[in-house]
Amino acid sequence: MRALVVEDDKNLNRQLVEALTDAGFAVDSASDGEEGFFLGETEPYDVVVLDIGLPKMDGLSVLEQWRRQDKKMPVILLTARDRWSDKVSGMDAGADDYLAKPFHMEELLARVRAQVRRASGHAKSEIECGTLRLDTKTARVTVDGQPVKLTSHEYRLLAYLLHHNGRVVSRTELVEHLYEQDFDRDSNTIEVFIGRLRKKIPPEMIVTIRGLGYRLSPDGNES
Amino acid sequence: MNHNSLAFRLFAIATAWTLVVLPMAGLLIYTLYRTDTVSSHDRRLRLLLTVIRADSVEHGGDEPGSPKDAGEPLFTVSQSGWYWQIKPLDKKPGRRLVSDSLADDTYPLPSEIGISPGDNEERWTIVPGPNNQVLRVVEVMHFFGEGADAKRYSISVAGTLAEVDRSLSSFSARLIQALALSGVGLLFVTLFQVRFGLHPLRQVEKSLAAIRAGNATRLDGELPAEIAPLQAELNALLKSHQDVVERARTQVGNLAHALKTPLAVLINEARDDPSPLAEKVTEQTQLMRDQVTHYLNRARMVANVGIIGHTTEVRSVSDALSRTLQKIYRDRGLDLEIDCPPELRFRGERQDLEEMLGNLMDNACKWANCRVRLVARSLLNGSAHNNLEILIEDDGPGLSAEQLGEPVQRGRRLDETKPGSGLGHSIVAELAQANNGSFERLRSELGGLQTRLVLPAV
Repeated sequence: MRALVVEDDKNLNRQLVEALTDAGFAVDSASDGEEGFFLGETEPYDVVVLDIGLPKMDGLSVLEQWRRQDKKMPVILLTARDRWSDKVSGMDAGADDYLAKPFHMEELLARVRAQVRRASGHAKSEIECGTLRLDTKTARVTVDGQPVKLTSHEYRLLAYLLHHNGRVVSRTELVEHLYEQDFDRDSNTIEVFIGRLRKKIPPEMIVTIRGLGYRLSPDGNES
Repeated sequence: MNHNSLAFRLFAIATAWTLVVLPMAGLLIYTLYRTDTVSSHDRRLRLLLTVIRADSVEHGGDEPGSPKDAGEPLFTVSQSGWYWQIKPLDKKPGRRLVSDSLADDTYPLPSEIGISPGDNEERWTIVPGPNNQVLRVVEVMHFFGEGADAKRYSISVAGTLAEVDRSLSSFSARLIQALALSGVGLLFVTLFQVRFGLHPLRQVEKSLAAIRAGNATRLDGELPAEIAPLQAELNALLKSHQDVVERARTQVGNLAHALKTPLAVLINEARDDPSPLAEKVTEQTQLMRDQVTHYLNRARMVANVGIIGHTTEVRSVSDALSRTLQKIYRDRGLDLEIDCPPELRFRGERQDLEEMLGNLMDNACKWANCRVRLVARSLLNGSAHNNLEILIEDDGPGLSAEQLGEPVQRGRRLDETKPGSGLGHSIVAELAQANNGSFERLRSELGGLQTRLVLPAV
């Protein structure tokens, strides 16, 4: 899962990046509107945390332009202005949620997770696939109720597959959604992580579809 | 009328002037009239004296003759008040003639009581006559006979002053009446003049009161040339005052908003740290956050409330909020129902209505199981100031009877399990009050909480 943080306050930016990284996201950050807009325009983020008061280009304009270009990723607005008229104009500009500063990081994370889940069509905070279970609130993965220990990259990969279970996820898509923008991407590493995951969860659950990618399946069937 | 007022001063001056001038004018008119009346009486006496003297000389020789026709019928009526006398002087024997009206009576002669002659050798005085009459007498000396036998006679005519007195007293009565009437008239005119003249000042006073009450922002109206500069200066002063307040308010807003990001940083920095310092920071930043929210709302409220001319469509505000809330709570599948006539208008700022409805609807959405309803309608109370009523209710758990009975308190959260600052209802209550409205919490027929706002309508 990739997240974009656009926030001009250095400290808050750092905190957001840290918190989201801890929560299992591959996080990019921008400190002004133009940079943020460019990243959102070019990279496939699963969620964006966007401050409204930004230098160079304000958050609402960034959001409106993304939406005009048909960018549909969930966007959570952050703002110091918390009047209802601000909320209405923020939501009307295309935001999916709205959080007034100052906020608790847990609150933000809960909303980020909720937006990611909603975007992939899951209503509950727990996503299941057969005996495999992911609690998005705690980032805990269990098989048959037994906790599974995962590294952060393994978690990202499994969480992405779980969020999109039932459909084939290409290797390119995985690369795009698992790594930060400046990460040295090598699609071979995906195979390595898939191999490691297969040792920690029932191996037949991750089905390799030749030439297309991978699909999560509760019983190992290909379709 | 206030003693220290322009109106009182003007009125007092006019009154004093009237009180001094009218009696003086009265005295002058009376004196002139009296002089005129007396001198006309005297002219008549002198005329009669001239006729009697001439008649007596004509009909006499060495002795005075009895005048035949004195030209005054009252000389023949007994004690009429009009008399003549021809009487030898110097205690010499001689013929004494009197008018029929005098008969056996007499009246003192001016020469006998030591009155010295004036113009034309006439002696004028006032003497008591028969029947307590007051007589004006004129007397001249005339010599009858020739040489050493010549005898000095006094010829006098007397006329009662009763008529003159009557005329004078009736005149003075009428004069006093007329003067009193014109005095009262003058005072009324002055009163009107003062009121009319000072009316623009009264207008200014009213406008200033309206400005203080927040119903106006400047001194309007066409004022007279004398106070128009004052109006211009006052408006300039008001404008600069408003600018200063506006600037201060903007700065407060900027400060408060600028504080929010560092506060967010502090809150999150302290979040994972188990040390007592971090705990203290968390506690204090929470306080700061509430304070910032509270004072921002206060500053905004003071800024907006009472500005006239602002009206807000309830429908457009509730629709916009409903759109936003439905998006925020889209996972919950809430049925958000708005029942509001499109023409309903709130007399006040859009922002205030947005804050009130936003907070209440958001709360309702937070707690509802599946239904939230907003019903707005006009309350016609028969007077010029109409109200509107907005009911917002949900089918959530609601509040207990005791909680419903409690006053709305700032920062007091009736349930700690859902996120929120606890400022929602207190802000709504403050805003409603500031807009001359009211806010109360009731039990909804849907099962949850019903909040009721009554606000001024257009």
